[in-house]
Amino acid sequence: MPSLLTAVKSRMNIFAHRLALGLLDGEYASVFRGRSLDFDELRAYVPGDEVRDIDWKATARTGVPLVKRYVATRRQQVMFVADTGRNMAAAARGGEVKKDIAVLAMGVLGSLALNHGDPVGLVHGDRRSAGQLPARGNERHLERLLCRMDAVDVSDPPSDLTAVLEYTARHVRGRRLVVVLADEVAVDARCARVLCRLAAQHEILWVQLDDAELAGPGAPARGYDVAGLGPVLTLLAQDPKLADDYAQAVAQRHRALAALLQGNGIALVRLGHTSEVVGGIFGLLERHRRAR
Amino acid sequence: MALKYWWLLPLGVAAIAAVVFRLWRRTRQTPGRVPVAHADRLTALPSYQRAVAVQRRWLAVGLASVLLLAGSVLAAAARPVQAATTVPEQLNRDIILCLDVSGSMVDTDEAVVAVFAELVTRFKGERIGLTIFDSTAVQVFPLTDDYGFVAGQLELAVKALNQDTKSFDFFDGTYEVPGSSLIGDGLASCVRGFPPESGAKRSRSVILATDNMLAGRPVFTLAEAAGLAKKANVRVHALNPNDYGSADYPDVAASGLKTAATSTDGSYYALESAAAVKSIAHKVQATEAARLQGAAVRTLSDQPALPLGLALLSLAGLGAAVWKVRQ
Repeated sequence: MPSLLTAVKSRMNIFAHRLALGLLDGEYASVFRGRSLDFDELRAYVPGDEVRDIDWKATARTGVPLVKRYVATRRQQVMFVADTGRNMAAAARGGEVKKDIAVLAMGVLGSLALNHGDPVGLVHGDRRSAGQLPARGNERHLERLLCRMDAVDVSDPPSDLTAVLEYTARHVRGRRLVVVLADEVAVDARCARVLCRLAAQHEILWVQLDDAELAGPGAPARGYDVAGLGPVLTLLAQDPKLADDYAQAVAQRHRALAALLQGNGIALVRLGHTSEVVGGIFGLLERHRRAR
Repeated sequence: MALKYWWLLPLGVAAIAAVVFRLWRRTRQTPGRVPVAHADRLTALPSYQRAVAVQRRWLAVGLASVLLLAGSVLAAAARPVQAATTVPEQLNRDIILCLDVSGSMVDTDEAVVAVFAELVTRFKGERIGLTIFDSTAVQVFPLTDDYGFVAGQLELAVKALNQDTKSFDFFDGTYEVPGSSLIGDGLASCVRGFPPESGAKRSRSVILATDNMLAGRPVFTLAEAAGLAKKANVRVHALNPNDYGSADYPDVAASGLKTAATSTDGSYYALESAAAVKSIAHKVQATEAARLQGAAVRTLSDQPALPLGLALLSLAGLGAAVWKVRQ
């Protein structure tokens, strides 16, 4: 019983009405399916389709905009690369648990891929170990991936995204669509190296699950660090001077990541709440298309 | 220094330990704490570390204050006491100075009165009276504990007994019948000066300064007067400046006085000089006081100053810490 996937789909229906869903579908198709000269079918235009794919003659004949579908040249394999360390069990900016947002994002993108017959897989890992669930093209498999993501707990080993990326670079062969599900990692030289290598191997989308704010009005009253399990005195951070320092440090950290991703041609979306997921992923695909 | 309720200490320490343990357990598993990742975004900031260091210092001060407060209050609750064993001196003595004011005695009388003028300044509860006699006895003042009045009277007496004095008004009434040093009558008058014995037991003594140079016919002989004294439970301490007897040839007058004094359970002193009066008077007073000493009493006095002072100090520290931490 694919309960997680059902939940994802119902949320997709809640957050995006039919048109927006179709939009997302078209966006995915035009970004990733690619086209060949082998004509497949004509179908009704949905917003998000490439304008140049519109078959104007057929449109003129029928009075409805139609687009040409070609047999895809590329069989796209979607590989989610997710940090499944205990960081993912921590709070997100919107107050939810980050893994819930990750599950939704993964479910939305995964079901888009499945709709287009693209298999989905998952590389997961933490500081101790990493592994992968190879790509398959059925919903039960996607459900399995979502379950793996959902199983993250605070008692899991600490997170190490760079190690997961390195595992991906070593073990995932062939060009894939890699969707990285990460939180607010601090980039260092090791991370930059592996990203550079991954960007050469694969097409990468970067979904950042924003961490809870630690200073200012949005901060939780009492927090503890999942890495060290020590308390974080967020109350102290109500001090305006300290909150200011914090905001600067966080902005600096994000700029470093954004610069690195941009340098490697990787599109980035920041998600802080499940309500941002559908729109955010649409924006991500749009940005990815422009970046190519 | 001892603790009266010492068993409170282990109990209290156990209670404090239990409270600390429970609080510690509770902070370990507080619900409502939000797990956050990448806390180094905040904790790596130098300004955060500074703030935490300050916070931690004040928390340490607060914790130390709380522990000190608990400890000192516990110590105070255990009642630190100072144990002391005291022999209470009962100050219920009655003393009548019975002075022979015949010519041969004035030196001694002056010394006796001077000593008691000094002693009376330290009296608390004792009563003193003064009777002088030669051929007849005159009560200068009866037994009283009005020390202001007594001091005034004794001062007058010292002046009057001084050899350089010109006025003999003080001795009025002591030559009403022929004779001199009618010592039996004098002592009897002094003994009559004590009120009848009542419930409260008071030590009664007569300081009798005389040389027993009897001239004339007294109503009471010395022996009879001593009998009266004994019957009235009065001890006679006799001071004789003119005891010229030796062990081999006892002075008849002196030995009579000595027998009379000792028969009342009192004492007899032959004076070498007037200067010796002081030490003898003190001695007599000491023995009289010693007779009345009660049973030794073990008293415990509370000594809460140190623990309560510490508690106050720790309260101040706690207040400062709370104020700073809440800031």
